[in-house]
Amino acid sequence: MQHAQISRVYVWQLPVRFYHWINALSVLVLVITGYLIGSPPAVQSGSEASFGYWFGTVRFVHFLAAFLFFFNFVYRIYWGFVGNRYARWQNFIPYRKEQLEEVKEVLKVDIFQRSVKPLESVGHNALAGITYFISFIAFLFQCITGFGMYAAMSKAALPALFAWIVPLMGGDFAVRQWHHAMMWFFVLFSMIHVYLVFYHDYVEARGVTSSMVGGWKFVEKHKL
Amino acid sequence: MPNRIVVDPITRIEGHLRIEAEVKDGRIVDAYSAGTMVRGLEIILKGRDPRDAWAFTERTCGVCTTVHALASVRTVENALGIVVPPNAELVRNLMFCAQYLQDHVVHFYHLHALDWVDVVNALKADPVKASGIAQSISNWPKSSPKYFADVQKRINTFVASGQLGIFNNGYWGHAAYALPAEVNLIAVAHYLEALEWQKEIVKVHTIFGGKNPHPNYLVGGAPCAVNIDEANALNAERLAYVGRLFDEAATFVEQVYLPDLLAVAGFYKDWGAIGGGLTNFLAYGDLPVAGYNAPESFKFPRGIVLNGDLSKVHEVDGKDADQIQEFIAHSWYEYEGGDAVGKHPWAGETKLKYSGPKPPYDHLDVDQKYSWLKTPRWKGQPMEVGPLARMIVAYAAGNKEVQELVNGTLKSLDVPVTVLFSALGRTAARGLETKLVAGWAKEFFGTLVGNIKNGDTRMVNNERWDPATWPAQAKGVGMTEAPRGALAHWIVIDNTKIANYQLVVPSTWNASPRDAQGQRSAYEAALIGVPVADPEQPLELLRTIHSFDPCLACAVH
Amino acid sequence: MLEHPLTMWQQMESLGYTRRDFLRFASWLAAAAGIEASGIGQVVHAMETKPRIPVLWLHFQECTCCSESFIRSSHPIVADVLLDKISLDYTETLMAAAGHQAEKSLHDTMKKYKGEYLLLVEGAIPTNDDGVYCCIGGRSAQDILTEVAEGAKAIVCWGSCASNGCIQAASPNPTGATPVHTLISGKPIINVPGCPPIAEVMAGTIVHLLAFDRIPQLDGLGRPKAFFSRRVHDTCYRRPNYDAGLFVESFDDENAKRGYCLYKMGCRGPVTYNACGVMRWNNGVSYPIQSGHGCIGCSEEKFWDYGPFYQHLASFPGFGIETTADKVGVALGIATAAGIATHAISTNIRKRKQIQQEIAGSDTIADDTKGGA
Ligand code: HEM
Ligand code: HEM
Ligand code: NFV
Ligand code: SF4
Ligand code: SF4
Ligand code: F3S
Ligand SMILES: [Mg+2]
Repeated sequence: MQHAQISRVYVWQLPVRFYHWINALSVLVLVITGYLIGSPPAVQSGSEASFGYWFGTVRFVHFLAAFLFFFNFVYRIYWGFVGNRYARWQNFIPYRKEQLEEVKEVLKVDIFQRSVKPLESVGHNALAGITYFISFIAFLFQCITGFGMYAAMSKAALPALFAWIVPLMGGDFAVRQWHHAMMWFFVLFSMIHVYLVFYHDYVEARGVTSSMVGGWKFVEKHKL
Repeated sequence: MPNRIVVDPITRIEGHLRIEAEVKDGRIVDAYSAGTMVRGLEIILKGRDPRDAWAFTERTCGVCTTVHALASVRTVENALGIVVPPNAELVRNLMFCAQYLQDHVVHFYHLHALDWVDVVNALKADPVKASGIAQSISNWPKSSPKYFADVQKRINTFVASGQLGIFNNGYWGHAAYALPAEVNLIAVAHYLEALEWQKEIVKVHTIFGGKNPHPNYLVGGAPCAVNIDEANALNAERLAYVGRLFDEAATFVEQVYLPDLLAVAGFYKDWGAIGGGLTNFLAYGDLPVAGYNAPESFKFPRGIVLNGDLSKVHEVDGKDADQIQEFIAHSWYEYEGGDAVGKHPWAGETKLKYSGPKPPYDHLDVDQKYSWLKTPRWKGQPMEVGPLARMIVAYAAGNKEVQELVNGTLKSLDVPVTVLFSALGRTAARGLETKLVAGWAKEFFGTLVGNIKNGDTRMVNNERWDPATWPAQAKGVGMTEAPRGALAHWIVIDNTKIANYQLVVPSTWNASPRDAQGQRSAYEAALIGVPVADPEQPLELLRTIHSFDPCLACAVH
Repeated sequence: MLEHPLTMWQQMESLGYTRRDFLRFASWLAAAAGIEASGIGQVVHAMETKPRIPVLWLHFQECTCCSESFIRSSHPIVADVLLDKISLDYTETLMAAAGHQAEKSLHDTMKKYKGEYLLLVEGAIPTNDDGVYCCIGGRSAQDILTEVAEGAKAIVCWGSCASNGCIQAASPNPTGATPVHTLISGKPIINVPGCPPIAEVMAGTIVHLLAFDRIPQLDGLGRPKAFFSRRVHDTCYRRPNYDAGLFVESFDDENAKRGYCLYKMGCRGPVTYNACGVMRWNNGVSYPIQSGHGCIGCSEEKFWDYGPFYQHLASFPGFGIETTADKVGVALGIATAAGIATHAISTNIRKRKQIQQEIAGSDTIADDTKGGA
């Protein structure tokens, strides 16, 4: 049996890695603060309103993280046009035949836990690509609904750009309801995403996890 | 050959009512009452949270706003075995009283008066004479000649403008108007005053329920917390506000409404023999003094009087499947068991099935189905409900307060007790009970203040708030006396959701189409024999129908 | 009847008002409608030259609480509106005439003032089954609306019924109840939602139309900005409690007695556009929140279907009464975690086996490490 030659590939450029961790952090903050906004615990009672502002702070942090999240996301969209071949948009939508093939392969690996053929791609595998693409749509949705709601409490220009979503969805209640429900997409996505990252690392041993930190992956030479 | 007259829309009522009547030799010989608008609220309620039902059912009607909310919370509380704290009962009573005061006064002046009062004729009045009459019947301060002259001038300008607005095309000058010009002028002046006053008394609802129309209710009690040391709750200021509103209301009723009512009635004594109809009366009773579960403590007693027999009061039980039933022989609905069966509301069905003529139409096919109202019956018998029913049942039940008031009034008008069974009797009963309610409100208010003084500030019983504490299946019935009469809601709860919700409403009893046996309900029965001087201007028909204070949004829902 | 109706100034004059009274009234009217001082001249002119504007008020699928609310107006008081400001030529609730005479009033005004009258609509319009669910004088609501809207100068939709369908349009909308703006086009339409709207909001909308003879500024949903530009939450006096995280935890608890925020009792203030917090109800006496009950969102489209009213989020369609997105989310989260755990265990077992096999059958492991360098 002939074994492959492995080499180190610089996959994730610094901007992508920055993007990724800022994104991960802001999502974490948004989910926690968002959840608290939806179901505030009874942390204080018998107090006077003028002595406290914790709920206002939670909301403020949510909005702060929201701005970070939004601009970071905008930045990633831009990088999808100018970044290296692994960062580009082509990776996210499986339109070529090989990509579609790969989706099937990855599904086999992930769900049926078969690993017959080693994976072809160096950057995102095709299935991961499409999931990330879906998550980008979710990012967009969350930004539109979030800023749509925010428009009612702000005179700034940015949120006003999204005010149209409110009449479209039939009112603030619906927007909120969907914004809230979508939080669970982020929770579930993160759980599965993080697990799969470790899983692929474990079964493929290509350094996937650390790649988002250092930028390098280990790839069989013949695939480059 | 009878002549069919159609009055549609019947105006100065709530909702969409159509009356078709056969007139022969100047009298109505047959009549058909049809409700022509339906929303399907009972269908919409299915599957929802029983604790929300009050808000839905309250929107049955904005004229008798609050009574459906009250019936609804009682229904849910009855199903779940919740007993509300005494203060909540008192708040509900006070809101009930405020509703009567506003609704009855508005009915008298703004919905009914124009059947008795000729607005245009008031222009001929002598303000000095009008002032003399007004001062002879009441201490109401606004009674000077100058005051009536001003009102007359205002009306004059209005009429001279050529734009008569809401008074356009009225039956002014009709032979059936009998008031002297001066009394017409007094009534017109009070039409305007009542319009201004009615917006005050409803503030009782605003204080306890946050708004009017459609104040907020709560299963388990009342949402307004009491805290006499807090600006954000029911405190001394809020209570003083309520107290003042009821004081003013009592003054208005005593010095304006009742004197006007008696003055008008004095000129229409012949109407004490017209427009009677059924002589069966049903009242569920209300205004608990010792809690909703103690009907014997109610200010308005519960019971039934049959065939005008004041010597016996029959019992009514909302849970008995054989007592209250709804029929659809002439109603645009479908029942699983066919058109002949009657259904107790717990087993009630609401399935819309129109079979009338396609609009536009000239006549309804009254031999078939002709209304969106179902036909309620008590042990198969039609019942009249409303102020007259309440007064008759209370009278027959031996209620001293009612007997004294009724006897005193009959004596002052010099008429026998039988005049009660008439259109005028209905209108008079409404006024009399308003006076009683104004007095009772002060009692309830005193008790509420007393409770708070003694440290009882409880407003809500939260024990069964959480649906996890509910049984898997539950059934309830909640009764009240709406201004227009006996109102009850029935609920079936299945797995914390509404599986069935049925309303049987006062105007459903009164305005419904006849049943399969051909027995007429109250409106149709009352119209028989009513004179109609000019079929083109059926003022007498309106007078009779208005004496019931119709509410069709209620009746159909 | 006179052929030339009196103008508002002529009427006031004949009532004994002085010119000064009249001007003061005009400027008050202007102020009530939020007009700046420079616009008062316009108001005066309008009132000097115009007869009372003919108004037709149609009633369809409604509970008539909008009419009831309207007659509660304190400024202006409704008697003044009816006698001095408008000519309400048709409204089933108050008009003296009935039947044919009532219909005649309607048609006379439609003919005589074509293009000039104001149409006010209360109630929704059922559109299923030829509109048999609401007929007046034997004609369907939709038929009547179409005819009367034709010659109207502008249409005001009273309440949530006419503006967004309200209760009869709640699921499953058995009669096909529809708001006016979906049926009528080509006319200025002002939506004044609320169940009912605040009396002074209703009167204020009319005053605006009278005083300026033009449509007030509307938002994206056709609502006058003057009353619907802010959420109840933005003008709620309990808002400091919200920001401080002080919430009523159950009705009538200590927090309720202190007037804390009703957010956790399901208050819809944060998603509801209405003037309740500022104008309050019945001449400023109170509003739902001040009296201890959360806002149920009565001026918002579909608010009936966002129940239960006592929880912050609507329940998830198809589940129990209290199943919110959170409960579904938590369930999915647990399922996911369980899936991950199972997956991880089986992966481990499989990988162990694989490693065993590789060790047993291979002699080139060393190459692997080399390639990885
Ligand atoms: C991962 C992204 C996000 C998640 C998971 C998230 C989650 C949440 C959740 C669960 C709520 C509570 C909703 C409720 O029950 O009332 C909320 C509220 C809100 N979010 Fe987000 N959100 C995200 C992004 C954003 C963004 C980008 C914005 C943009 C400004 C935003 C603006 C808001 C606003 C305005 C509220 C309402 C806060 C209030 O009125 O108190 N969110 N969010
Ligand atoms: C401990 C936490 C996390 C780790 C270790 C991690 C790791 C990684 C790795 C290794 C990749 C590259 C995967 C590949 O090669 O296909 C990646 C990509 C990605 N991750 Fe994470 N991740 C974490 C948390 C998150 C969170 C919370 C989110 C957001 C919800 C997120 C969103 C993404 C996205 C959108 C990409 C695609 C990056 C791009 O191409 O722009 N990750 N992550
Ligand atoms: N009929 C009726 Fe009602 C009353 N009173 C309610 O139950 O009017 Ni709208
Ligand atoms: S909007 Fe509400 S208040 Fe107005 S008529 Fe409709 S149900 Fe009644
Ligand atoms: S009570 Fe309602 S409207 Fe007022 S601050 Fe709280 S959530 Fe907002
Ligand atoms: S329920 Fe309606 S009355 Fe105001 S506070 Fe909410 S909009
Ligand atoms: Mg019913």
